[in-house]
Amino acid sequence: MRVPLSWLGDYVDVDLTPEALADRLTLLGMEVQGIERRGIDWQRVVVGELLTVEPHPGSDHLLVTTVRTGPAEPVLTVLTGASNVAAGQRVPVAVPGAVLPGGRRIEVTRMAGRESQGMLCSGDELGLTTDADGILILPPDAPVGVAMADLFGDVVLDVDVKPNRGDALSLIGLAREVAAATGARVRWPEIALEETGPAVESRVAVEVLDERLCPRFVARLVDGVTVGPSSLRVQARLTAAGVRPVSNVVDASNYVMLELGKPTHTFDAAGIAGGRIVVRPARTGERLETLDHVVRDLTPETLLIADPAGPLSIAGVMGGASSEVGMATRTVVIESAVFDPVAIRRAAHHYALRSEASLRFEKGQETRLARIGADRVAQLVAAWAGGSVAPGRVDTAPAEPEPARLPFRPSRVSGLLGTTIRVDAIRDLLARVDVRTEPARPGDVVPVATGFPGVPLDGAAAAEALVAIVPTHRRDMEIEADVTEEVARVLGYDRVPGRLPETPMPEYRPDPRRTVDDVRDALAGRGLDEVVTHALVGPLDHERIGIAGDDPATIRVTNPLSAEHSQLRRSLLPGLVRVLVENERQRRVDLSLFEIGHVHDLVDGVPVERAVLGILLAGDQAGVAWNQAARPADLWEVRGLVTALCARLGALRPTAARPGTVASYEHPGRTATLLVAGPDGGVDAVLGRVFQPHPAYLEAAEVRSTHVAVALLDLDVLQAAIPAVRRYVPFPRVPAVERDLAIVVGDGTAAGEVERVVRDAAAPLLRTLRLFDVYAGAPLAPGERSLAFRLTLQSPERTLTDEEIDATVGRVVDALRTRLGAHIRA
Amino acid sequence: MDLDTLSARLSALEQSGLGAIRAAGDPDALDAVHVAYLGRRGELKTLLGGIGALPGPDRPKVGAIGNAVREALEAALEARRRELGAAALDARLAREAVDVTLPGRPVRRGSLHPLIETNREIARIFGQFGFVVYEGPEVETDVRNFQALNIPPDHPARDLWDTLYTDVPGYLLRTHTSPGQIHVMQRAAPPIRALLPGRCFRYEAVDASHGFEFFQVEGLMVDEGTTMADLRGLLDAFAQAMFGRGRPTRFRPGYYPFTEPSVAFDVQCVVCDGRGCASCKRTGWMTILGAGMVHPVVLRNGGLDPERYQGFAFGLGTDRIAILRYGIDDIRMFLENDLRFLEQF
Repeated sequence: MRVPLSWLGDYVDVDLTPEALADRLTLLGMEVQGIERRGIDWQRVVVGELLTVEPHPGSDHLLVTTVRTGPAEPVLTVLTGASNVAAGQRVPVAVPGAVLPGGRRIEVTRMAGRESQGMLCSGDELGLTTDADGILILPPDAPVGVAMADLFGDVVLDVDVKPNRGDALSLIGLAREVAAATGARVRWPEIALEETGPAVESRVAVEVLDERLCPRFVARLVDGVTVGPSSLRVQARLTAAGVRPVSNVVDASNYVMLELGKPTHTFDAAGIAGGRIVVRPARTGERLETLDHVVRDLTPETLLIADPAGPLSIAGVMGGASSEVGMATRTVVIESAVFDPVAIRRAAHHYALRSEASLRFEKGQETRLARIGADRVAQLVAAWAGGSVAPGRVDTAPAEPEPARLPFRPSRVSGLLGTTIRVDAIRDLLARVDVRTEPARPGDVVPVATGFPGVPLDGAAAAEALVAIVPTHRRDMEIEADVTEEVARVLGYDRVPGRLPETPMPEYRPDPRRTVDDVRDALAGRGLDEVVTHALVGPLDHERIGIAGDDPATIRVTNPLSAEHSQLRRSLLPGLVRVLVENERQRRVDLSLFEIGHVHDLVDGVPVERAVLGILLAGDQAGVAWNQAARPADLWEVRGLVTALCARLGALRPTAARPGTVASYEHPGRTATLLVAGPDGGVDAVLGRVFQPHPAYLEAAEVRSTHVAVALLDLDVLQAAIPAVRRYVPFPRVPAVERDLAIVVGDGTAAGEVERVVRDAAAPLLRTLRLFDVYAGAPLAPGERSLAFRLTLQSPERTLTDEEIDATVGRVVDALRTRLGAHIRA
Repeated sequence: MDLDTLSARLSALEQSGLGAIRAAGDPDALDAVHVAYLGRRGELKTLLGGIGALPGPDRPKVGAIGNAVREALEAALEARRRELGAAALDARLAREAVDVTLPGRPVRRGSLHPLIETNREIARIFGQFGFVVYEGPEVETDVRNFQALNIPPDHPARDLWDTLYTDVPGYLLRTHTSPGQIHVMQRAAPPIRALLPGRCFRYEAVDASHGFEFFQVEGLMVDEGTTMADLRGLLDAFAQAMFGRGRPTRFRPGYYPFTEPSVAFDVQCVVCDGRGCASCKRTGWMTILGAGMVHPVVLRNGGLDPERYQGFAFGLGTDRIAILRYGIDDIRMFLENDLRFLEQF
């Protein structure tokens, strides 16, 4: 809400600098987000009196004027292209050397052969009104020679009024806040009407078909108006407050909206058939041309102001063109109603027509303001546009609610804040925001939580309780905690002392981030850079990894900011690859990255999230150096990294297997599934995949590097593979024995397969198993390869005999032969 | 041969031996000298072989002279051996000398993302006060994200969160970590001290200080007698830990439908120390989090009796804290993952 301080001063005295006032309001919960000084950029713009106005002899659209800007000042000759000036008028004159908003400098210029010693200004050029068509004509009593900034400069506070305080979306509401802060008194505008002519009931009838959607409708009528521009003062105030001046009648309505927080609407009575207003939901197929000259199809949820002929306006949102107040309007009907906040909010959203009016309606309206608003608008229309106010109001629900009684316990106020506030202090603080207090009575019920039963007070409790009498404009005060907030707010939040809690500690709980942090530390320690990429990716990202645009397991955003971020990621791969591509564009081609994040799938109609670790290596992994060769990223690099990570975390060593199926983005010959033993030694769990991406995928994703390797691991599986406690295993003091076996298998037999057979057969004496050579070629037969393993055998308690060693090796050889058809190379 | 002759020859042998030792240029040559003079068939042995021809009384004298010669030669051999060894080592060291100013072998330094590290630091600080970490989902129900937090459908306060909705009915992308309050209250009994870090989403145009994905940490403390003073004390402790001792803080009214009273917590601007600058919009203060006493309706929705329990909640913007902590001027850096940025952490 934009608050011109000159206007605010109508309702409350302020003896503070704008900065100090802003501070006080902020500390009261009305956060001032900006202070604008209007007129500070009108340098050397003064009030001038037009002495003469003549046509320019050399131009058909310019006028030559002479202007007096003070008794001691020389008369200036100023040319203007505007046609609305006449001798005797007072106008703003930018004298040579003036600077206007936007830094525009005014100097002596020549136009069509005549010298112009300055410029006559329009309201728009000064930012004072929004009229750009003609010169701003000042009131005849504007003092000649005085700086415009002194006359019309203002300070405007930009106040962030929270959604629960619709009552403060008004100058009177903020005046109340100023009064609460400073102790000043609020001055309501004097609303006095001179009523003449036939009673309003004879001219206007109102029928409300749904009282839930429109609890109150007040109408007034002003006859014989002359529509024209408002006074400069009104236009300047509206402009400063951010509302565009339209005409005296419409401005009166907007003025009251800003003044009282009461949106109203003015109709041209000639546009209301038979003077009969019906408030009803729209019917299917109905249409209305709104004030912005858009013809809208109305939905049955829309509440309408209508007449027997059809819709007049969308209630609380926007008026209709057919009943718009225009220059020809002679009779004005004023609507001042209360509507259902939800209905207005929905309509404003539905038609994308959120306005200052709808914003106020959707926060709820004080019932009595319907009456006061109608009176005030009628008063201002009559004052500004002439005419006479018809006696009386049409009012569909004249009864006005009494202030609500809100029982509360002062001990609870102190107990929630954590500081003792005396009862009389509480009463004084509440009084500053117009909340009276009185003693509670037995049987009063303290509302603790909205929508839940309150706490009834017995005799003893009632003796210590109070009742807050909540003024009707404070629709936000409903429960005991609201009273506490009000007390704290007026007291000053900073008066709540700080101390550390003395209440009991919660139970121990293992940190769910522990494994994640261990993984992060381990990988960063190995030189990887952690990245965080978007959880929202685009359909193209998914299509590239083989997930179709309409895949049923993808969760989509229905109102995305862009297609690029419209789907929840199913994999970390697209994000990691994007980081690679972006860095390659910066000529950073050697990367080792990891990300820990959630991937999302829709499973049986329910969103499911999984925590995933993604690793991406690209380019040289050794680091460019004068003394070592490059080591391009490949499957082995990432596999080794994962193995080291698992070992570091104390997890069981993952084994690799050839994948059953290969995804479109995986290199069919360079992809492995990683398995870890199940938690109870049962079925292996799939830890994830290590792979080199398919060259076609890399090309489609615009990756330049051809050396890329990736691991995508399920963090929950990894976590499950980490034992809760680490146990020290005593290492044997007796010597170990090493045996090398060169195992010859067919190409089709995976090394992982061979490894598993060796491990099974060599247990329990096998301590370590290391593959140290892979060889194919003569003298091996084509289609054969040799895998050389080094077995380290050891008994925990004694030196092994040759017989034991030979027996173990013999078992291994037999198992390899029978299970894999392998033989040992001599 | 008489005594004198033999003595003279022994003396000559010593002289020539010492000369040969001096002349030996490497350990092999020295070994050869050793064999030639002191070996089993060496010159000394040979010469002393003539001792039998001497008269009896002279023999011990010659023996003594011979021993002296042997000792002199052995000492000289040892000295020369050491000399040659030292020279050889010096030569080796000279050969091994390198340009020590050449750079070391590259080892990647690695880095941890500043957002996640800031989350961890926040958890560390509150962990000192007994707060334990919980996690909630990124895809949340409308019920938990809004309704259970006292924000019914069509409530004007929904304007405070521009929401991204999903095509799964009833689910949206959480706009804040606050639904975690409900998760925790439903899972744990008081005393509760909980932290919930997480990624949040809003329909928000991207600029230097806004993104549609960002990170928050929610805090929740509920017990009998938890007060706003406890909230103030903890937040002050946090501000000291994060921004240095003695930095002034400020409590002022805020608004959230799920807290009552609601609080905005400001710290003195860390850029200008309160003098007023562009970063703090000339106010001298920076708002680092929103907080408040948990609304009784929210306690109810979490299954707790507001007559018995009260508590506070706060929501910290991780991005904002990280920006202040590291002096980053553009929030977009966090998700761009430019290595030139990452490598600074």
